[in-house]
Amino acid sequence: MTATWKLEFPYRRSVGPVIGAFLTGLRDRKVVGVRTTGGHVLVPPFEYDPDTGDAVGDMVDVGSSGVIVHAAWVVEPLRTHPLDRPFAWALVRLDGADTPLLHALDCGSADRAGPGTRVRIRWAAETTGHLSDIECFELET
Amino acid sequence: MRDVAIVSFAQAPLEQSPGQTETLMLLPTITEALAAVGMTRRDVGFTCSGSADYLTGGTFTFVQMLEAAGAWPPISESHVEMDGAWALYEAWVRLQHGDVDVALVFASGRASLGASLRETLTFQLDPYYLAPIGADYVSLAALQGQAVLARDARSEKDLADIVARRYQDAVGNPNAAVSGSTTADELLAAEYVVAPLRAHDVGPAVDGAAAVVLVAGDRAREVCDRPAWITGLDHRVDPHYPGVRDLASSPSTKIAGERAGVSNGGVEVAELAAVCTPEELVLAEALGLGDDVAINPSGGALVANPVMATGLVRIGEAFRQVHDHGKQRVLGHASSGPCLQQNLVCVLEGPG
Amino acid sequence: MDPVQFMSHHTAVEYKIPEPSLLTIHFGEELAKGRIIGHKCPQCGKVYMPPRGYCPLCVVETTEANEVEVSNAGTITTFSVITPLQYQGQEETEDYVQATLLLDGADTTIMVMRMDGIAIADVRMGMRVRAVFPTAGGGAASNSQLIARGMGLGDAVDHWEPTGEPDLTREQIAEHIL
Repeated sequence: MTATWKLEFPYRRSVGPVIGAFLTGLRDRKVVGVRTTGGHVLVPPFEYDPDTGDAVGDMVDVGSSGVIVHAAWVVEPLRTHPLDRPFAWALVRLDGADTPLLHALDCGSADRAGPGTRVRIRWAAETTGHLSDIECFELET
Repeated sequence: MRDVAIVSFAQAPLEQSPGQTETLMLLPTITEALAAVGMTRRDVGFTCSGSADYLTGGTFTFVQMLEAAGAWPPISESHVEMDGAWALYEAWVRLQHGDVDVALVFASGRASLGASLRETLTFQLDPYYLAPIGADYVSLAALQGQAVLARDARSEKDLADIVARRYQDAVGNPNAAVSGSTTADELLAAEYVVAPLRAHDVGPAVDGAAAVVLVAGDRAREVCDRPAWITGLDHRVDPHYPGVRDLASSPSTKIAGERAGVSNGGVEVAELAAVCTPEELVLAEALGLGDDVAINPSGGALVANPVMATGLVRIGEAFRQVHDHGKQRVLGHASSGPCLQQNLVCVLEGPG
Repeated sequence: MDPVQFMSHHTAVEYKIPEPSLLTIHFGEELAKGRIIGHKCPQCGKVYMPPRGYCPLCVVETTEANEVEVSNAGTITTFSVITPLQYQGQEETEDYVQATLLLDGADTTIMVMRMDGIAIADVRMGMRVRAVFPTAGGGAASNSQLIARGMGLGDAVDHWEPTGEPDLTREQIAEHIL
């Protein structure tokens, strides 16, 4: 048995207008992305275009459902993972977005998380303006 | 540009006395690296090291490591909160100034002191979009693995084949935490950790320390019978968030390889810092490595991952290919960040 | 509602308490017998107490072959009078002194030693003091990590008492005052 100690920092981070718009959207149970000068919609939104480095344009509402791009089944979750039972990490391209969002998918078994599967956001009971306002993804029935 | 060569490489033994301190793992390693070329710490003009305090949770832990380097009388030194391969890059830049000829580079880390390396390394991630969901490096590597397997008709057997080859390559490497004979079928029988990765698809994290000596100009030939000249050195970065990248490819590695001149003559050996099996496939493709290139003859990072020294060790092993095994053109690679976000490529050439 | 401007991020990383090195264990065992040991550098002759297994000035390793005994008497090189802040979890209520001591025979000091047996007004730089162990032999030190980092002798010492010898002058301890 090994004794452990914990290093803790309670950070309070400023989020700025772009990430702030995304988190404000989550608090209202909607997803907001940002349009690049090239016309792509980035979700989650970034303050600059990762391809060109350009400043980004307007915020854009996208859907709360989308398709799995890639998924990886977690056999034994870490305590820091969003769910405490086996789940799939899923990169999900929400309707209207050009880039996928990463979160946990609660789907019961690995074989139900194939690329192309449609999923939707399961919103947390209470939202505060944080990524955890998305409790996880679930299969769209 | 000044010609700079690697003239020496030393690694701390895997077996250490119980509770051995990081400083005492490093001290003899540095002494050994310098002594191999007839030098002492007094011959060093610039010292640069790589480590990450997050591994032990001790603030400014790296400052204690300077006692292993010998900091009295005061020395000219620098430190990067990165793998030691980046300390080597900084040392190479420093030697270009022309006023000093010898640089000591070292790296160390005690990954074993973290309760969970997967949790600890999550702190290097985007604090808004990745850290809050605890997306750890194994999970992210697994997503990259899914992307890799989704194309080119690659299968999990390809991943297992890599493991089997590296374990075999590692036989005789005293710094390998795992080695020996096994088959893809035996490996594929194991449970997933995060699919498609099984435990053996992730290099075992170990405590470690490594040191490299760089010498510029003719002095390199005076102290070393077969120096490995750094003819290419480049570092590129991809975007951080996995969703905006094609995880099955590595543009940063491709560019770094081109800028380091990998294809100006090809390489005989490539030591790649692939901690997870899919990374080896991605890196080999990005660098344009054909079947004629020996990949990770040391076993690579799949047989031991001395976190914060892994990349420096790859470059050190590449040096050994030139110095001990008579190779003429080789490369060492280092990586940092999720899913091979940052990549450094170092091309070494023998005297001919 | 106002747009979100801040996000809280409570980070927590857990670490194992490192097992003590063989040298730290040995130092603790000797301390339990009332014996304070150090390592003398074979090159420069400086004595490190607690021993760390190397001399940082000469950068050479030191071993049992370099072990020497250090006196349990020494000199206060510097000290602080602490008035405890009543923060949550604070157990101290009265002023107390933490001193840095240079024990006879050692070239390194030990820190944060409590001087509870001595009136605060009497504590001074250069004062000669002696360790009193809790039993006839010595005391077991429970915090090996503090010891390993030169933080005193842990709780191995029951208390420090004045020896009554004349004080050392500032010049005599000048090299050890930080």
